[in-house]
Amino acid sequence: MSQVTVSLAGSRYTPSGLRVNAKELHKPRVQWLNTGWLCVFAAATLSVLGIVAISTTEPSLALRQVIHLGIGIVGAAIVAAPHYRWVHRASYPAMIVVLLMLVFVLIPWVPEAIVRPRNGARRWINLGITDFQPSELAKIAYIIALAAYLRYRANYRTFRGLLLPLVLSFIPLGLILREPDLGTAMLFLPTFFAMMIAAGAKIRHIVLIIVLGISLAPLTYPMLRPHQKGRIQAMIAQVTGDPRYEDDLGYQGARAMTLVGAGGIMGVGKQKAADLVRFNHLPEEHNDMIFAVICCRWGVAGALATWSVFILFALGGILTAGQSKDPFGRLVAVGVVAMIISQMTINTGMTIGVLPITGLTLPFISYGGSSLVVAWLMVGLLLNIALRRPQYLARKSFEFDERSDQA
Amino acid sequence: MDRRRLIPSMFHRRLVLLVAVIALTSLGLGAQLFKLSVVEGAHRLAEAESRLDRRTYLPTYRGRILDRHGRVLAEDRASYDIAVDYDVILGVWAENRAARQARREIGTSEWNALSPERRDAAIRHHLDYWKTKTDTLWMQIQRLGKIDEAELIRRRDAIRAEMQTTAATVWERQRAAWLARFGMEEDAAEAADNPRSGGFTPRPIREQRQPHVILPRVSEEVAFEFVRIARELDGIVHVLDSRRREYPWTSAEVLLDRDTLPKPLRSSTPISIRVDGIADHVLGSVRTEVWEQDVVRRPFVNPRTGEIDLGGYRPGDVVGSRGLEAAFEDRLRGLRGVINERRDTGEQQRVDAVPGRDLHITLDSRLQARVQAILSHEYGLTRVQRWHNNTALPLGRPLNAAAVVVDVENGEILAMVSMPTIAMGQRMTDARRRTDDPWVNRAVEAIYPPGSIIKPLVLCAAVQEGVHALGAAITCNGHYYESHQDRARCWIYRPQFYMRTHGPLLAEEAMARSCNIYFYTLGDRLGMARLSNWFRRFGLGSPLDIGLLGPLVDGKRLGENGGQVPDEDTIAKLRNEGQLNFSSVIMGIGQGPVTWTPVQAANAYATLARGGVVRDATLVRDDERIVPRPSRSHLGLPPSLVRAAIEGLRQSVEESYGTGHIIRYEYDESIVPDKTFNVEGITVWAKTGTAQAPALPVDTTGDGENDSVLTGLSHAWTVGLVGPKSRGEPRYSIAVIVEYGGSGGRVAGPIVNQIIRALQVEGYLPNIEAERKARVDRSTGGAS
Repeated sequence: MSQVTVSLAGSRYTPSGLRVNAKELHKPRVQWLNTGWLCVFAAATLSVLGIVAISTTEPSLALRQVIHLGIGIVGAAIVAAPHYRWVHRASYPAMIVVLLMLVFVLIPWVPEAIVRPRNGARRWINLGITDFQPSELAKIAYIIALAAYLRYRANYRTFRGLLLPLVLSFIPLGLILREPDLGTAMLFLPTFFAMMIAAGAKIRHIVLIIVLGISLAPLTYPMLRPHQKGRIQAMIAQVTGDPRYEDDLGYQGARAMTLVGAGGIMGVGKQKAADLVRFNHLPEEHNDMIFAVICCRWGVAGALATWSVFILFALGGILTAGQSKDPFGRLVAVGVVAMIISQMTINTGMTIGVLPITGLTLPFISYGGSSLVVAWLMVGLLLNIALRRPQYLARKSFEFDERSDQA
Repeated sequence: MDRRRLIPSMFHRRLVLLVAVIALTSLGLGAQLFKLSVVEGAHRLAEAESRLDRRTYLPTYRGRILDRHGRVLAEDRASYDIAVDYDVILGVWAENRAARQARREIGTSEWNALSPERRDAAIRHHLDYWKTKTDTLWMQIQRLGKIDEAELIRRRDAIRAEMQTTAATVWERQRAAWLARFGMEEDAAEAADNPRSGGFTPRPIREQRQPHVILPRVSEEVAFEFVRIARELDGIVHVLDSRRREYPWTSAEVLLDRDTLPKPLRSSTPISIRVDGIADHVLGSVRTEVWEQDVVRRPFVNPRTGEIDLGGYRPGDVVGSRGLEAAFEDRLRGLRGVINERRDTGEQQRVDAVPGRDLHITLDSRLQARVQAILSHEYGLTRVQRWHNNTALPLGRPLNAAAVVVDVENGEILAMVSMPTIAMGQRMTDARRRTDDPWVNRAVEAIYPPGSIIKPLVLCAAVQEGVHALGAAITCNGHYYESHQDRARCWIYRPQFYMRTHGPLLAEEAMARSCNIYFYTLGDRLGMARLSNWFRRFGLGSPLDIGLLGPLVDGKRLGENGGQVPDEDTIAKLRNEGQLNFSSVIMGIGQGPVTWTPVQAANAYATLARGGVVRDATLVRDDERIVPRPSRSHLGLPPSLVRAAIEGLRQSVEESYGTGHIIRYEYDESIVPDKTFNVEGITVWAKTGTAQAPALPVDTTGDGENDSVLTGLSHAWTVGLVGPKSRGEPRYSIAVIVEYGGSGGRVAGPIVNQIIRALQVEGYLPNIEAERKARVDRSTGGAS
């Protein structure tokens, strides 16, 4: 409050002075000491943990991951630098570009030199030096586009108003499912609901949609692809202790659970973990299955530490949202937290055998450039929001009377 | 803003809600982690660590089977197969290697960006190098395997064709299973277009990734040469250890003389007979297929404790499947060896294989071959002959038969032959295989009514039970029941023998004449219970355990049959039906509810020859037995009784009224008498038996299927004790049965006679004729 007083003191209420003051009011002001650094700290810790975990079995890849991390941090800094209202302005164009790219990878006659399918999935665009995955970018574009859409609205307080953004969400989601990339697609719904809750949608509407969705989900089973069905069957078998699938469909899950359990409370140490992972033939051990390596090497202690740092990240993001007065900033912060935490939950959940296996990385930790850089871009977004002090004349956002049914 | 709330801002309340959701989710994840790591941690660590161990199992050698003179009848022989990887056989290996090398040189991402033409060019650049290797291999295979190029191509094509058929079958099955699981035809169609869409993809079957044998069973030198070649050629050729179970004594050429045969077959020139499958019923065989029953009996990994039994069964193991191979499976099979390697440290622990133990058996394989030749259809004694008087069956029809030779002294079985042999069965039509089941060892597994050969046993029982005094006579008036002339008759009281009777008879003569009335009387006096007990004491009613009892499967042990002796239930049932008396009466002549096997017959006669000392017949030497044979027990027969029984058997052969004395038949347009047993210098104590046989299925239309049955036929038995005339006591017990042969004396008698000749030729009995001939040769040789 003192700063405000000081800057107003020099204006003397002259017309020009008032104009200066008005400009002054809209001037972006940077708050260096903020909760965003919690997220940066958490992300850095997780990234280092990831590099060490990758080095358990793939020292050379760990080294490359250090380079990815460097790119990610630079990317985060670039994202954090301009005021996020520029991000807001870019949100719809960005979403359109991303949608075009998602369509592009699905076009069958695009030459293989540009879109090269791997394991039957069309997810990557070849950029020459590296491959680029539009669905990763879609995660960010979705968050900012949804935040921009919800910013000054209140109609989602009605059931129909809630359904419209949900239906729109199915455009990127459907395109990603078509690649197919079930894992990434699965992240969009929790993020949507988290942002809706934050924005003040009626809880009973959301509960209704979730209950409906869950009860209708089995109807989609016949539409699934065989390998997806197989994984669900394997998953059910795994949970019920049926060993039939352990040699084929449930192989990865069974091996991951074995290695997670083998770590015990304190882990088996680096060399032993490397041997166990290697001779248990865990597929994707430096990538999707990195959490199994962490559990094996550092045990329950390591797993709890990892989760704790993710929760620290979540708290940092939530606090940033809580301190921001700007609806866009609030929603973006919540969206980023929801996206990262959902991905973490799905990835670790599938590693320890409570969710079906889908190809999904553990953010910050898994090996892979796209995954790490995009995660860090989200950190940059969060930091950006945290760095900006609230404007003096901000409108109160997302404050509705929960006991009234009027919008 | 709602100032009445603890947190006034709705947005902040919603953030708290989100934090709560995150916390709850984390708790759920934590609980699962706790379950995996703390509750199941030790178990999962053990499971993970078990994969650090690599076990390599080392094959073991199965024990040998040797005959009484140390001849090897069965053994594992080392041999080597030369095998080549399937992609080499297909001819795609060189190209694959060249492509791999080209890709490695260019780098994967650049390679992916190349056009197909450029790729081809890069591959062609390397192709020659790899092609030289396969060319060298084929050249060496031709050179060392001594085959020409056409033969090599033929073998490669054969492997390829077989693999394609196999793979097609496997894929079809897998596809069906896949469809049953995911049930979408259109996805299957899509999968065919895009093999990586997650649909069903036919992957190379196991056999297509394995090497295939192109040169089977090469010598050690050639194998060694190929080990060197394999090192030079990147391991595309493999030397496989292909030890096999071999039976070196399966075939023999046997020279049989014919001067002691019945006249129609008699000749001064010997005949050479080739016999195959010698002792195949006794030795059995091995299979390389492991059945569920094997795994249940002796699992490799104990399903309860997880312990490993190195002698347990794994797929691909050799398993004894019949005969001694099955009966002595545990002792013959040995223990495999194992190399335990820790893959992380490279530490090795080696347990050497323990070869199976050898099995010494009592057979004399030369005598066995000789007896088999005697029973061969080629020799003529097991075909319907005119002198058999077998009117029901066509002349020349082959007959099934069995023969057993037992050493009286210790019960050792010197020869045991069952016709047809398993080897003969392989050449039979299916229909014949059904009637003449070649798999049955008729000497121990088939049961027959004893008929008259049981009579000495009945005499012993009656005298010992005190129902008949040895010196007392019984009168034969042709039929046993006063009121029924057509029931329980003597064999002689028939129209073809002019309804004669034997009159009063003493034991010896009653046996020699094989009088039925005498033994009906004894059977009647004894009653079925006492008679059955005595039969059991002579070894009837349960398997003798000569060594062929297989492992216990489903509560049963196959390989030997104990025959039937009526138990209390049967007796009670017969009593209720009012049949007990008649059954007891006819059991006195070996009919009714009693059956036995030829080995039991030879064994019972040997017991009698030992004066009642029980020493069950055996195929394996006493020191080879896992469970020792019971020590000798005694039936307590008084010497006078044994003497009388033996004397009855002697008279049966030597006295003119004996049923085993002569056979009469038409020869040279007159009826001639011919002595049944005509080997010089040998005493024979024998009993013939003609036992009512069950109906015989026959094929009257000639379409290969049996369509009617013949009734009223008889099995022909002769059981005899033989010994050198000079010693005057029995040394060997011989039992012969010819199924549906008819008269015991006419059909089985000449076979026993030839077996006596065989014992002579093989040195078990003195050969007076040969000695005399040798003496003559020596004297003439000295004179010239």
